Amino acid sequence: MAKKIKDNPQNYPWLGRVFLWVDQPGSATKLFGGLAVVCLMLGLADFLYEKHGHFTFENLPAFYGLFGFVAFSCVIFGAKALRELIKRPEDFYAPHVIDTEEYPEDELEKVAHDAD
Amino acid sequence: MLIDQFPPAFTFILAAIVLLAVPQGRARGALSLIVPIVAALQVWNYDTGIYNQVEFFGFTLELMRVDKLSTIFGLIFCLAAFLGNLFAWHVRDSVQQVAALLYAGAAIGAVFAGDLITLFIYWEGTAIASVFLIWARRTEGAYHTGLRYLLIQIGSGVILLAGVVLCYRETGSITFTKMTLGTLATWLIFIAFGIKCAFPLLHNWLQDSYPAATVTGTVILSAFTTKLAVYALARGFPGTELLIYIGAVMTVFPVFFAEIENDLRRVLAYSLNNQLGFMVVGVGIGTEMSLNGTASHAFAHILYKALLFMSVGAVLFRTGTSKASELGGLYRTMPLTTVFCLVGAASISAFPLFSGFVTKSLILDATASNHYTLVWIMLLFASAGVLSHSGIKIPFFTFFAHDSGMRPKEAPFHMLLAMGITAFLCIFIGVYPDPLYALLPYEVEFHPYTVGHVIGQLQLLLFALLAFGVLMRTGIHPPEIRAINLDSDWVYRRMLPKFIGSIAFAVTAFWALQTKFWMHRVDGVIARLYKSHGPEGRIAQVWPTGSMVLWIAILLGATLLVNFV
Repeated sequence: MAKKIKDNPQNYPWLGRVFLWVDQPGSATKLFGGLAVVCLMLGLADFLYEKHGHFTFENLPAFYGLFGFVAFSCVIFGAKALRELIKRPEDFYAPHVIDTEEYPEDELEKVAHDAD
Repeated sequence: MLIDQFPPAFTFILAAIVLLAVPQGRARGALSLIVPIVAALQVWNYDTGIYNQVEFFGFTLELMRVDKLSTIFGLIFCLAAFLGNLFAWHVRDSVQQVAALLYAGAAIGAVFAGDLITLFIYWEGTAIASVFLIWARRTEGAYHTGLRYLLIQIGSGVILLAGVVLCYRETGSITFTKMTLGTLATWLIFIAFGIKCAFPLLHNWLQDSYPAATVTGTVILSAFTTKLAVYALARGFPGTELLIYIGAVMTVFPVFFAEIENDLRRVLAYSLNNQLGFMVVGVGIGTEMSLNGTASHAFAHILYKALLFMSVGAVLFRTGTSKASELGGLYRTMPLTTVFCLVGAASISAFPLFSGFVTKSLILDATASNHYTLVWIMLLFASAGVLSHSGIKIPFFTFFAHDSGMRPKEAPFHMLLAMGITAFLCIFIGVYPDPLYALLPYEVEFHPYTVGHVIGQLQLLLFALLAFGVLMRTGIHPPEIRAINLDSDWVYRRMLPKFIGSIAFAVTAFWALQTKFWMHRVDGVIARLYKSHGPEGRIAQVWPTGSMVLWIAILLGATLLVNFV
């Protein structure tokens, strides 16, 4: 399938055109801002009901939220450090692996979306 | 054997033979869709009990041991076979078609095996049938990967057989029932299950082989082998405390590897490993609730994992690559695949209203209520980790992120249909879990949709998503790059061969040295002998042939003289 940068978005399927909103300037910021607001509300929601956690620390306000934020960050920082240790060129095990091979063409059906 | 007691595994195996007589095309595709439905009906119609007892060299084999635990696994295997075959409707390769049926049949046969010999036969059956889904790619890399896969899978079977033999010698029974770790026999069986279940350090065959299979082969592979192992553990070792810790480690470590892996099908293989961890913890706790959690999570997991493998498979089918570094921005022309992938991502991340939420909760709750605090924290950490690679990385770097410039056509209709049905089931289970709960081995008294539970889970996931946003906007999130990452398979793919190579080198060098040393000595002796005894040697000079004749004449004369006197 040829790479085409100069394409016509009007030819995209309608759902694809709807999704185009996410790539408009400012959309990412709006999404991020909206997410931050939802998170704040979820954190505050913890004050509105009585918690019945199995552990006492579970009952701290926004425990799950803070845990999620910290855990996610740990995953990313841990993974970055791990990458420094274990990253190798793609052909490290070649030729006994599929990483350096092209996928056989006859198994595929590479068609451009406007190829009709 | 009554017709209504025909084992569903035989239905698959029989169909695999019949399939070859059916012309390639729609008829064959239809047959491979009908077979799982027929088999599922068979499973559904069995009452609890033991059927199809066969005498075999003095042993009584139980081909069908039906109870709620085996039934739920049998049903989901049939469903997975149906969805996998629908996704593979376009495939015109007899090898893959037959392998898919035999593989599903063997897995279902193993689930209903009431004795360890039947289990062993089907256990090896899954290994042999499934490797053809890797070899069907027909490249050198896939051939070698398939060999590595087969070695490990067959190895698991051989260890199982050793365990079964010892078990029979110790107990005189081959019934496959609950065991307690302690004897060599039970340890061998445990390790055999552990290899197929991808326990930490025994796991690498999974990440090595699944990305090497064909587009459709990986979807089929993802359902059976590992969940068969989970079933076997749930049947053989429920309540084994060691499993809790093994499972907890399994949930955590793949998270880091998945985050930096470039091949998205390998990311999903790591993610599969992480999900198995939750199920293994459930088996380890061994209460009714936790075993329900394991069974239901296996059920839900097979569906959303298949959905994720399908969506990445559809992308591979259309673009020729499944590497995150090459993809991006595909939502433009593959929006439906995008939506289905997002459903799979939400399900595996356990968002409320999606299947993962109603099943993983059972395991987490069982862990908490049995006061395994550290394990619970590890599982919670892993839940945030699942979001990072399966929830975000897979859909984001494939369908969104930077525009790769690729404008592939939407996936073909049969793939969309397979993904659509699977996505529907993921949401259906999440919204209305009661039918799934009714299938579970024990009575369920659990309500996933409590205020605290829903808010807690949303907090966990959305704050993690917020962290992703922050890390992306600050440029800290690691980029997708073309590289591979070492894992424990480095030990048997590099270290051991190098170690053995260096031993061979040392032995060869030593042999050469000592040979040289002795040859030098022998050469010296020969040279000296030659010098003294050779044609030019001193001894040769005073040792003519004539003197020998003279001496013989003297000896003869002496003999005559003695005789006369």
